[in-house]
This record gives sequence, structure tokens and C-alpha cells, in this order.
Amino acid sequence: MDNQNKLWRVALYAVLVYAAVYYLLPLYIMATTSVKSMDEIRAGNLIALPMSITFDAWGKAWATACTGVECGGLSRYFWNSVQMVIPAVLISTTLGAINGYVLSKWRFRGSELTFALILFGVFIPFQVVLLPMAQTLGWFGMARSVAGLVFVHVVFGIASTTLFFRNYYVGIPDELIKAARLDGAGFWRIFFKVVLPMSTPIVMVVLIWQFTQIWNDFLFGVVFSSGDSQPITVGLNNLANTSTSVKEYNVDMAAAIIAALPTIIVYVLAGKYFVRGLTAGAVKG
Amino acid sequence: MGALAIKNVTKSFGDTHILKGIDIHIEAGEFLILVGPSGCGKSTLMNIIAGLEAPTTGEVHIGERIVNNVAPKDRDIAMVFQSYALYPTMNVRKNIAFGMETRGVPKKEQDEIIARVSKMLQIDHLLDRKPGQLSGGQRQRVAMGRALARDPKLFLFDEPLSNLDAKLRVEMRTEIKQLHHRLKTTIVYVTHDQIEAMTLGDKIAVMKDGIIQQFGSPEEIYERPSNLFVAGFIGSPSMNFVECHLAEQGGEYGVSLQSEGDARFVALPNGARLADRIGQKVILGVRPEQIEVAEEGEPGLACKVHLTEPTGPDTMIFTQVNGKEVVARVHPRAARHPGETMRLKLDMGKVVLFDPQTELRLV
Repeated sequence: MDNQNKLWRVALYAVLVYAAVYYLLPLYIMATTSVKSMDEIRAGNLIALPMSITFDAWGKAWATACTGVECGGLSRYFWNSVQMVIPAVLISTTLGAINGYVLSKWRFRGSELTFALILFGVFIPFQVVLLPMAQTLGWFGMARSVAGLVFVHVVFGIASTTLFFRNYYVGIPDELIKAARLDGAGFWRIFFKVVLPMSTPIVMVVLIWQFTQIWNDFLFGVVFSSGDSQPITVGLNNLANTSTSVKEYNVDMAAAIIAALPTIIVYVLAGKYFVRGLTAGAVKG
Repeated sequence: MGALAIKNVTKSFGDTHILKGIDIHIEAGEFLILVGPSGCGKSTLMNIIAGLEAPTTGEVHIGERIVNNVAPKDRDIAMVFQSYALYPTMNVRKNIAFGMETRGVPKKEQDEIIARVSKMLQIDHLLDRKPGQLSGGQRQRVAMGRALARDPKLFLFDEPLSNLDAKLRVEMRTEIKQLHHRLKTTIVYVTHDQIEAMTLGDKIAVMKDGIIQQFGSPEEIYERPSNLFVAGFIGSPSMNFVECHLAEQGGEYGVSLQSEGDARFVALPNGARLADRIGQKVILGVRPEQIEVAEEGEPGLACKVHLTEPTGPDTMIFTQVNGKEVVARVHPRAARHPGETMRLKLDMGKVVLFDPQTELRLV
């Protein structure tokens, strides 16, 4: 019995280790390849550790790699993404929090229907709205601009941020709101002084969620922006697709890591809140 | 001066009628209890008094004002909730100060009030703690402190003790009563616990199905319940209900009682009032303590003891009269063991009679 148990344990760990290696291998190859020189890449094994570490490829990916006809690296796209993601995340999170607060604590005739309709937005495939959205952005004079991308992401983000906040706020006892009303607090004072200070876990979840969604978005970026308003995902695509005489794998890999780094950093910094926030409300207490 | 008057208040949601014409009037300094089983509308009535819900029809007066269109914060009321509803991110001091800050009370005055209230409730050593670090009883005190800091015309308590354990509940009940004696405030208190209702209230409104079944002092409600529901709801153990027929025997009006193996006719004082009901069925209501052990030589009904429940000061005797289980509360030394027979008599001056159809009290 003991031996059989041990065997199971070994088999279990073998499967887990295999799965972990399987998932980590691409990251490992990206990281090692990005610090190899082209000579070493051409000569050596894909999986081997670099013989000498050089950050030339990183520098090139950031500042001088060609993305189409221009050769300014990813830095321009990166800053576009930063300019897009910060307002888009903040605005969509704020609106989601207010929506969730209203739909859970200030119900009105038809508020459930309103919530159902907003929820509908979570399930709409992006492709469906590309053309009407392009038209709308045109009317607003925001076509092919970072502001336009912010607008699109805010509109699309509201559905899921509202869902997150509403479900979290449903778990806050109504008596708290009643107590605050008797204390003389109005809609905004209750929101800012009572409800929002209780929202840290869900705010973290929504910030991470929205940041990841918006930073990683490619479709809206490629459709609704052009030239100097394109986000990093589009820049990465352009960089990898620009054909020169040689395929610079190390530069491609470095560029891919640069594009992915912010979401990883955000998750590492706030990840513990993410799990906590997702499970909050699942268990009463 | 009237402190609170509720005039013909109704509340409906579509075809669901929660409150069906409520009338209540209490004077300043009175302690009003709204008691009833869950779903009777007592919490809805409380919310209407607080202004958190609007009545469908009718008027609510607080002091001399009609407050139907006055916002909760302007009604000069304070409320203590069942879940305490303390703001979890604020410490005790901030919890108490929140309302005063909102109303723009000067900081110095706030500090004085917090010091006075927290001393009175013995929570002055907890002011810097968050609600999560407090025990149930301490949270309860903080919730009361928050209400006291307001110094309102009317206090509303919504089942404030039902989340506490049994021992603490009794302690806090006494404290609330002392507080009321000391401060002479007007209190409206919602509970489903009839013992809380009896011990705390100056006036009790017993509610069921959105109707006030009886409104009166605890004594009135206990001794002269207006119907079967009130009689059964107030008092523990509950009042015994025995079906019997009114009869006349030797010029006296009364009822015949039958135990297992004995039967006798017992006369009702002032029974003549029921002359027109002779031969009709009535329900005799008798509280456990109104059944006494008959002394030697006294007339009594021999009853077989089915079960005994000693509570310490008293022992409950379970027996049967007219085919119904009946509980008598007797002195432990007078109690017999199950299977034995005891001679019992009813305090006929205190029993009440109900009409079996209308369920209303006859005498």
C-alpha cells in the first residue's frame, strides 16, 4: 500500500513537472534567445544557455529596429500603449464602480434590466462592432488617435467592470447604506467614504483585468489606429513582419518580452489581491 | 406631547399588501415594541418610520411634524440595526463621528460627544479599534453609541439583540432598559422575541399579516389578549387552549372540563354575561401559571401527569384536558412523577375565553 502510494506520488509529480516545463520552455527560449548574439543563434542549439550575454538585441528592439519603413524600435509604440492604457483603465474602472454601486445599492425601476443589457456587452464579439465603431469614431473626430482607442476600450470595458463591481457590492449589507443615509450621507459621500474604502480587493481585480485586456489588445489597435497612434501589440507585429535580409530572432524575442513585461509586472505586484478579490464574496465572512 | 403617530399607514407592492392600515400613537419617553413573527410587516413599518421606505398611504408624524416627505436624515431619528451596520473600514471613533461630520458639527463638540457617549457605554478604551476587532457585544455598544451621539427625538432599534448569544442578550436587554430610564428617550424597538417585548416595552404592538393584532401595555396584552394569536404568541410556555362548551348548572354559568378519568364543572365569575352563548363551543385560554395544585379539601380535577420539565424555580407538568395537551407551571415540590395523578384547579378569575370562529376574546 505504501509503495503504491509512493508510486502514485512520483507519477503525479512527473506529470506536474512535465506540464511546468512545457509551459515555461517558451519563456526560457525567449529569454535566452534575446540575450544571444545572431552568430550564436545561427550556430548553436535553440535550448542551450547563452555562451555570452549581450543586451544589444534589447537595445535594438527598443530603439532602432525597423517596423515597416520606420526604424525607431518599439519605444514609440510602447509609450502609445502607456498613454492609452492608463486613462482607459482608470476611466473604465471608475465607471464600473459607479455602475456597480448604483445597480446593487440604488436600485430603480428597470435596474435589473439595465444590468442584463450591460451584461450583454461582455459577450459581444469584438469583430461585430468594428465597422460601426469606426464610423462612430469618425463622427467624434477620434479616428486613428490614441484618444479614440481609449474611448473604444472604455466602452468595451464598462460591461465587465460593471459586472465585477456589481457582484462585489451585492455582498455588502444594505443596512450599511441605510445607516449611512440615516447619518445624513448622500449618494457620493456614501460611495467615497463607506463603499469605496471597502472595495480594495475588487478594485485590484478590475485594474489587473482591464490593464491586461487593454494592453494585450491587438484587434482594436490594428483597426482603429495608424502611424503614430499604434499600440505596442501592433508595433510588435510590424517588427516581426518586417522582412530584412536576415531574421533577427534575438530582436524579435526581446521585443516580445518588452511587449509582455508590463502585464507581468502588474500581476506580480498586485496578484495576491487578484486571487483574494476573485474569491471574495464566495465565502461569507 | 405625542412623540410618534402613525395614521392609517399601508404599504403594498403591487398586489402584495405588507401593511394594512396601521395606527399607533405614543407619547414622548415611551418605549414602543413592535413584535410579531417574521413576515408580519414590523421591519417594513420600522423602515417607513425611518423614511427608508415610503408608505403607500397614510401619515407618519414625528413630534409635531408630518414627515412623509422628509428625508431620513432630517427626521431627527437614529437607528440601531440588527447587523449593527458599523462601517468596517473606520475605527470606532470615526464610526461615531461619521454622522456628526456629515452634519457639520464642529470638531470640538464632536470630541466632547464621543467622550461622553463612549464613557456612558464603556467603550472608551475601544475608540481606535476597527469593528472587525470587536466582540458582538462591543459592536452592539458601538452601534448604540453611534445612535446616542445623534441625540435624536426618536430611537429606532431593529432587532438589535438577535445576533448575540443568549447570555449577552439578557445583559444587553437590561442595559438598554437602564439606558432608557436614564435618558428618557422615545424608542421604537422591533423584535420577534416576546420576552424582549414584555421586559422592555411600555407599549407593545403585536403584529401579524400586516395588521396590529393588539396595541397596549405589557400587562394588558398578557392578561387580556384580544385574540387567539396574541394569547398564543405572548408568554412562555404558551397559553393553553382548551375547547369546551358553555353550560349552565345550578344557576351558574361555566364550562365542563374532562381529564383522563375525571370530569367536573367549573363556574366562571361574571359568567352571566355569556348567557346568550349557552350550549356554544368556546376556547378556554389558561396560562400555565394559572393552573394551580388544589389543596386538600379543595375541589380539583384529577389529572394524569404525562411528562415533567423541571426549570429550577418551577416545574412544567404536561397533562391532558378535554383531549388537548395542557401545561401547568407548579412548584417543584408539588410536582408528581409521570404516570401519577395530580389534582389541579384553574384560576377562573384570570382565564380568558375566545370565540372559535372569530378567534376574538369573549371575556
